[in-house]
Order: sequence, then C-alpha cells, then structure tokens
Amino acid sequence: MVSSKQRQFDALVRSLSGDLFRYAYWLCGDEALAHDLVQETFLRAWRALDDLRETAAAKAWLITILRREHARLYERKTPQFTSVDEIDVPEERGAHLPEFSGEENLIRNAMRRLDPKYRDPLLLQVLGGFSCDEIARELKLTPAAVMTQVFRARQKLKALLGGDSREGSVHELP
Amino acid sequence: MNCLDFRRRLGAEPHCNDADFLRHRQDCPGCAEAQARALAFEQTLRQALAVPPPAELAEAVLLAHATRQQRLRRVYRRGALLALAASLVLAFGIGLRVEARPLTDQAVEHLRAEAVTLTFTQPVTAQAVRDAFASRGLALREVPDGITFVACCPMGRHRTVHLVMSGEGGAVSVIYVVDVRTGAREDFQHGGWQGRSVPLGAGTLILLAQDGSRFDAVERAWRAALDAR
Ligand SMILES: [Zn+2]
Ligand SMILES: [Zn+2]
Repeated sequence: MVSSKQRQFDALVRSLSGDLFRYAYWLCGDEALAHDLVQETFLRAWRALDDLRETAAAKAWLITILRREHARLYERKTPQFTSVDEIDVPEERGAHLPEFSGEENLIRNAMRRLDPKYRDPLLLQVLGGFSCDEIARELKLTPAAVMTQVFRARQKLKALLGGDSREGSVHELP
Repeated sequence: MNCLDFRRRLGAEPHCNDADFLRHRQDCPGCAEAQARALAFEQTLRQALAVPPPAELAEAVLLAHATRQQRLRRVYRRGALLALAASLVLAFGIGLRVEARPLTDQAVEHLRAEAVTLTFTQPVTAQAVRDAFASRGLALREVPDGITFVACCPMGRHRTVHLVMSGEGGAVSVIYVVDVRTGAREDFQHGGWQGRSVPLGAGTLILLAQDGSRFDAVERAWRAALDAR
C-alpha cells in the first residue's frame, strides 16, 4: 500500500530532481557530487515532508535543503568544474546531449570563472526562481545588496563573454 | 521611474513586472528595446545552464529512499530504543572499519539492501547505460545486452555503477567500482552468493549471482565494453 506521503514524495522526485541536479551541478561543479547531493537532499526532505505546506514552494524548499547539505558535506571544497569538460566530449554523451551553441558554451565557461559571490545569488535567481527578497534571506544579505550582486553578476558575465557590456552599465545611459 | 532606475532594475531582475517598471517600458521605446535584449540574454543563459541530469536520476533517488525505509523498518521492528542504541554503536564501529573491509563484502551488503533490483525485468536503454558510465567519467566502447537495471550507487566511500543483467539461469548483478582496482582476479563464495572480482581498467568489476555459470560470458562482455585495449 502506498501512502499519500509516499505519492507526494514520488511526484516531487520525478518532477524536480532534474532542476535540483542542475542547481547542484552549478553549485558544486562536479556531476557525481551533484548526483549524490540531490539524493541526500531528497532523503532529508522525506523526513521533513510534513513541513512542506504548498507544492508550489517545493523547489525553493528543496534548494534550501540542498544548500545546507552542500555546506555540511563540501564546504571546504571550492567548485572545480573538472568533469564538465569530459562530459562535453561529444562521443561520450553524443546524441543525448542537447546541442550547445557557441554562445552557450562561452556562457558556461564564463559562469565557471565567475566569483561565487556573484554566481551564488544569480543561480538562486535563474535556476531556483528565487526573488531578490528570498535570496536575501537565504544568503543573509540585504535585498539591496542582492540586487547589486545579481546586477553585477550579469555585467561580469557579459564582460567575460567579451561582448558589449554597455547593456548593464548605468553610467553610459543618456 | 526614470530610465536610470529602469536599467538598474532590468539588470537585476529582467523579468520584473512591477507596475512602475511596466509603465516606464510602455512609455520609453529605448528601455523597451533594452528589455527585449536582456530577456534574450536570459534565455541564452538559462539554456547554457541546462546541464542534462544523469539518466535514471529519479529512479536512483527513489531506490535509495526505498532502501533506507526498508532498513529503518528492520531496525524498528527489532524493538525500540535498545535496537536503535545498538545500531548506532554498530554504525559507529562499522564507520571506522569500513575501508578495511573487502570490496566484495561491501558489494554483497549493497546487493542485500537493494535485492528488489533483481526483480526488474524491463530492459534499460543502451543510452541510459552509457550515461551512467559517462557520469562516472567513463566512455563505454559497447553496451552489453540484457541489462535491466542501472544506477550510480555510492558503496561506502566508493563510486560505482550498479547493474543487473537478466537472462537464462537467473540474474547476474554487476557492480563496477570506479575508483579502486583490486590486485587479483578471484572467484569467491559469500553468504549464499557466488561471486567474481576482476581488476578492470582503473576499477574493479564485481559479479554476484545465485549461480555463477554465466560469469565467463558476462566478464567477457564487460571486458569488451570497458577494457582500454
Ligand atoms: Zn527609459
Ligand atoms: Zn545499487
């Protein structure tokens, strides 16, 4: 017999493990670690599942748990992004891997080089769907500081891309 | 809101839909165009970050969960606090000794905990198998036939790819321990299982079954798939 808690859990795993993996990957920089992190996160989430009131908030809730797990397990390691280059070898993941355009590859490399201070809030925003207020709570910063960091994160990404970064520069506005 | 405020907000929250923000966009073609460019960049950024998750990720998580639940039920059935206290002591002891235990013991224990995998009969796709190895940093030269389960299981502190191969004469469980290569190839018996341990590539291939008659064929298939030369 399958409990409703078990059904809710199955649904969460099936619908959100991919999103969680993407976030974990960019947080820790290693595919195998990201896999383990996602697994640990869900095992912890099961025990706390009664705390989750609305399903709409599940992704943010899981990401918060994942960040705690990451801090607990891997805090002393900084992201190395070693394995991604192996994964990008076409013959390894071949047909399965979506074609990344040249620009997307540039962005991925720029993202790897971005200071975690900027990468962290940007990931929460872009992959986690967090608002600036939610990021502020999670990172223990003021909302204004978060606004500044995600703004700079985009500027720096565009600068690393070597492209035109005027877009983000308020100084050159008319 | 003026253009400066708009651009600041745009750089921080390209998808902003506050009333002030939207009103300015409506009134200011320059800023409307800037937002269109910003949203195009967001789209590219999102695509660039969309690393594909390993195949069978959800299955691996659900299996780990089911396995842990089974273990917990076993512990609690034995009776309340005493058992819990004993298991904590045991876990602590095992934790200290875990690396001294032979890989083959760990593999047998892992299989016992995941015995349900032996009942899987649906073939998994060759791509799922390739993906599992790729996520452990390995490219397969070919994918053996008859695989009905694949997952990247942790085993103690080792990284493995765990597979089940169905066929005539019962299922053979295959655990490829990616990060340690044992010295010698050997056959063994352990707790009612027949087993074989084979140093292969940079790792160790462990085969386990009730009946080891297919070991030679299975070993050949994995040598062809994994051996460097
Ligand atoms: Zn304007
Ligand atoms: Zn396993």
